[in-house]
Amino acid sequence: MIIKIPSDIRRMREVSLKILGSLKSYDLDNDRMFDIRLAVEEAVRNAIIHGNESDKAKSVTITYWIEDDKINVVVEDEGKGFDPLGLPDPTANDNIMKNSGRGVYLVKKLMDEVEFNAIGNKLKMTKKLK
Amino acid sequence: MPVRTETKSGVTVCRMDGEIDINSSPDIKKVFDKLITQKTPKIVIILSNVTYVDSSGLATLVEVLKNMRSYGGRLRLVNPSSKIRSLFEITKLEKLFDIMSNEEEAVSTFS
Repeated sequence: MIIKIPSDIRRMREVSLKILGSLKSYDLDNDRMFDIRLAVEEAVRNAIIHGNESDKAKSVTITYWIEDDKINVVVEDEGKGFDPLGLPDPTANDNIMKNSGRGVYLVKKLMDEVEFNAIGNKLKMTKKLK
Repeated sequence: MPVRTETKSGVTVCRMDGEIDINSSPDIKKVFDKLITQKTPKIVIILSNVTYVDSSGLATLVEVLKNMRSYGGRLRLVNPSSKIRSLFEITKLEKLFDIMSNEEEAVSTFS
């Protein structure tokens, strides 16, 4: 399935609702649903705010599918990308009081697999459903 | 996301419901900005009825803590769900926040 939204954070919830709705047959527990929702919304939020710099003329494309009892979600923006390896560790003493920088960290912690494309404007994340 | 405040034994108790996320954070900040402007010395935030927190919500709580520390104020969080508490553990924010499980204890021992 493919969802395309403009760079508007008010549209994030409809993305996570559609993705969670596609998982109904798996009867997932609340914690796993929470993890998937949070990871999806953080990834879409980063794509809107940091990737597309909240330019409503630019879109975020979310592709998702279920395969081998895993949910796969790809979030792609129209931005210049970034170096995900260059992100500071938000748990480090120098960063822990900062007001930002936890989004990608949470995605990595809550999903089973996370990878970026070479330029960093496309994230793929996967979580086991069983 | 309403924030209901009351004073108990000299402690400001703030009850939050629903979701603390990028959409609700601006309204939540307004409530706490007012308390911080007044240099409220002791705040307890009851999280029992909070069902979802994202990175913006965590950032909002960090900002409240940081601002309160600037004037010597103290903050306690009470009774987050196990899932929300796990976010504090994952992000190591549990090291910064005083998280308690019981509201009465949080208020009565806040001397």
